[in-house]
Amino acid sequence: MGAFETISFRPEHCDGCNDCMIACARAKEQSDDVLHSRIQIVPAEGGFELAMCRQCGDPECVHNCPAAALSKDGESGVIDWDASKCVNCLLCTLGCTYGGIVYDAPAARVIKCDLCDGHPACVKACTHGALKFLTTARIYNEVGNLEDLFVPGLAGCQGCNTELIMRHAMRRIGPDAVVATPPGCIPGMGSVGYNGLTGTKVPVFHPLLTNTASMLTGVRRYYKRIGRNVKAVALAGDGGTADVGFQSLSGAAERGEEMLFICVDNEGYMNTGMQRSGCTPYGAWTSTTPVGERGRGKTQDAKNLPLLMVMHHCAYVATASTAFMEDLYDKLDRAIAASEHGFAYLHIYSPCTTGWRFPSDQNIEVARKAVQTNFVLLWEFDPQGGLRLTHPVDDPFPLAEYVKELGKYRHLSEEQIAHIEASVARNVSFVQGLAAGRPPTAAAA
Amino acid sequence: MSAVLKPKSKFIVCDGNEAAAWAVAAARVELVAVYPITPQSSLVEYLAKFVADGRLAADLIDAEGEHSVLSVLQGACLAGARTYTASCGPGLAFMFEPYVRTPGLRLPIVMGIVTRDLLTPQSVWGGHQDAMSVREAGWIQVYCESVQEVLDTTIMAYKIAEHREVMLPVNVCHDGNYLSFGAARAELPDQAEVDAFLGEKNVNWHAALDPQRPMAVDPLTGGAGGTGPSTFVRYRKGECSAMQNALSVITDVHEEWGRRFGRTHAPLVESYRMDGAEYAIITIGSMTGAAKDAVDAARQRGENAGLVKVKTYRPFPVRAVVDALAGVRALGVVDRSVSFGWDCGPLFQDVIGALHYAPRRIPAMSFIGGLAGADITIGHFDHVIRRTAELAEGPGAAPGETVWLNEKD
Repeated sequence: MGAFETISFRPEHCDGCNDCMIACARAKEQSDDVLHSRIQIVPAEGGFELAMCRQCGDPECVHNCPAAALSKDGESGVIDWDASKCVNCLLCTLGCTYGGIVYDAPAARVIKCDLCDGHPACVKACTHGALKFLTTARIYNEVGNLEDLFVPGLAGCQGCNTELIMRHAMRRIGPDAVVATPPGCIPGMGSVGYNGLTGTKVPVFHPLLTNTASMLTGVRRYYKRIGRNVKAVALAGDGGTADVGFQSLSGAAERGEEMLFICVDNEGYMNTGMQRSGCTPYGAWTSTTPVGERGRGKTQDAKNLPLLMVMHHCAYVATASTAFMEDLYDKLDRAIAASEHGFAYLHIYSPCTTGWRFPSDQNIEVARKAVQTNFVLLWEFDPQGGLRLTHPVDDPFPLAEYVKELGKYRHLSEEQIAHIEASVARNVSFVQGLAAGRPPTAAAA
Repeated sequence: MSAVLKPKSKFIVCDGNEAAAWAVAAARVELVAVYPITPQSSLVEYLAKFVADGRLAADLIDAEGEHSVLSVLQGACLAGARTYTASCGPGLAFMFEPYVRTPGLRLPIVMGIVTRDLLTPQSVWGGHQDAMSVREAGWIQVYCESVQEVLDTTIMAYKIAEHREVMLPVNVCHDGNYLSFGAARAELPDQAEVDAFLGEKNVNWHAALDPQRPMAVDPLTGGAGGTGPSTFVRYRKGECSAMQNALSVITDVHEEWGRRFGRTHAPLVESYRMDGAEYAIITIGSMTGAAKDAVDAARQRGENAGLVKVKTYRPFPVRAVVDALAGVRALGVVDRSVSFGWDCGPLFQDVIGALHYAPRRIPAMSFIGGLAGADITIGHFDHVIRRTAELAEGPGAAPGETVWLNEKD
């Protein structure tokens, strides 16, 4: 389990109006006195801060309670307070560093946020967009019982995002599938196997780097012919997808072959020593775009592979990120469904701790920042609905927030950063244009 | 060839490309992937038409190139399909990456090579350089002499490829231009009889991509340490053994074909007028017809010429070649391609290699003709016969003493 729901706070949108606190006090104590509010907006340097329960994963308040009055709910992640057990010792309030559980003097007991059964009054009351109810990890409750179709101990690098993507994707796809993993990190970590030992519990094979979509074409076509519904799935890197594998990919997509092609984009040939691919972004250091007296990293922008697939009229195309798992799972579901009747393409960004040079515990954070800076756009496309941004970022973080995290950009000059900013802006404008051009039927639906 | 009319067989007039398509229909191939290339194009057009007409009940995939064509077949074969394609020349070159992998996967795919010379010089005409350039890739390669042999051999190829002691892909080679477009009378065998001949499909019992029996296909092997080197060696050796097994399987399958259909084709090598032959010419493919006429003429002149046609080129039938040639005093080998670096033809190389196992040394000479669609005429073969006869009287040819037949045409 370990799932949680929580309320996020964006201080830059908060004007201190107190509407949220009043809404909470009314909802919980039928009072307009904000002292009863479980959410407290407090003045801070240059604005406001939030004091309320974070529904922590490893809650100190629960640990501190000597009466078992506090417990964390396995399903929702909400920390419940049980009045019948509470001895009013207030040790819980000492444990919390967020001001999330406090003594309510008029009520003569502790109070804390219970998220209003998933419909928090404070979030509804906020008209400024400063509060948001997040159910980010609920998905893990839904998929936690599905079998992991890879063995423990795949030989990925520490903190590998690609391994995460493989495990989640196959968990959802299920065992009635044939999986193609062209040369790269995915078979490199032992998914097909070495010397008689395999890392995968479903039929898996090495295609060539060049022919993944074609081999899967044959597999799927034959099973369809004999009346068996076997999913054809590619777990491919960006090199084998965008570069040498692109012809077979394009051919299969044009023919509308029924398969789910997942490109795990770590922006280069990371398995073989971090060489440049067509998906490597401008300015990035790789082992074939080195930095030296004259070399300043890659001199061209990445090709936009998912948009290329949109132009193939695929049954479904989407981009996704492991920092936004519910979005990713939604897209997996739609891609799996689309692969039953056409070509489905999922492009999942996979920051590479080894090849991009950042600490392995920062992987999800890097993935998140890529989205928050609009370096990566999350969208989906189908021929009926057109293109839709699934996580539009209207007020992006400065790009520097992203590139400063990554060793591969350490050498960037201001001019190079300006180049990337211009590329990002151009891409945002282009994709927004496509999204705005959705057919009217989709808008009505 | 004695044609015995079977109850439901019928006669048609067709070229070699159409004959191959009829064979694919008769073999009940389930999945065909195609990409057109001269001089194979009409073959895949026939396949597409047969599918459109309901004559061939196969899934047909118009892939975006030869590389994908063979890759689609590999996937389908691993899922359990009986498959077919055809290619040649630059298309075969483009296909090389999946091509070299097919025998190692032990996939019984049948692929026609409508032989074409390789670029460059730019050319779209027949020649064996394409098929010969991939002779070491591990595919079984058989060469046909006639339209009927294309039809019959393409059906037989499935029985050979899918044999449990073989499990290797087969190239049925027929000459671009001469056989691809040359029309002749051909007998279409009765479908029920073909079904009985081919029996149960036997495609992926060993390596499969099937959720009902999950396995990892082609994990990493080799390298130092663990069981790496021995595993790789075991697989390679297995391919080599299967190739040798194919020699007897090819022979048995051809014999059974003869029994069932009343048409006999020599399985490995065909000896033509070799009784009492003092010297022999060695041929391969469609040139053999003209060569036989030239041998007949020489015999009429009282010259003791004979002919040995090589049908099965890979595996190379070393014993059959040695046995066929043991009695001659000289031989001339006619190739439609070249072996760079040896300055001779590749078939010549193979023949003299095999003759290492002959009880005595036999003088031999390499003749190269028919490149890029050039005709090897009866006149050219007269020349071959004369030079070979001289060879029997002299000290033998020196290395690189190769005769280029069309040099002045």
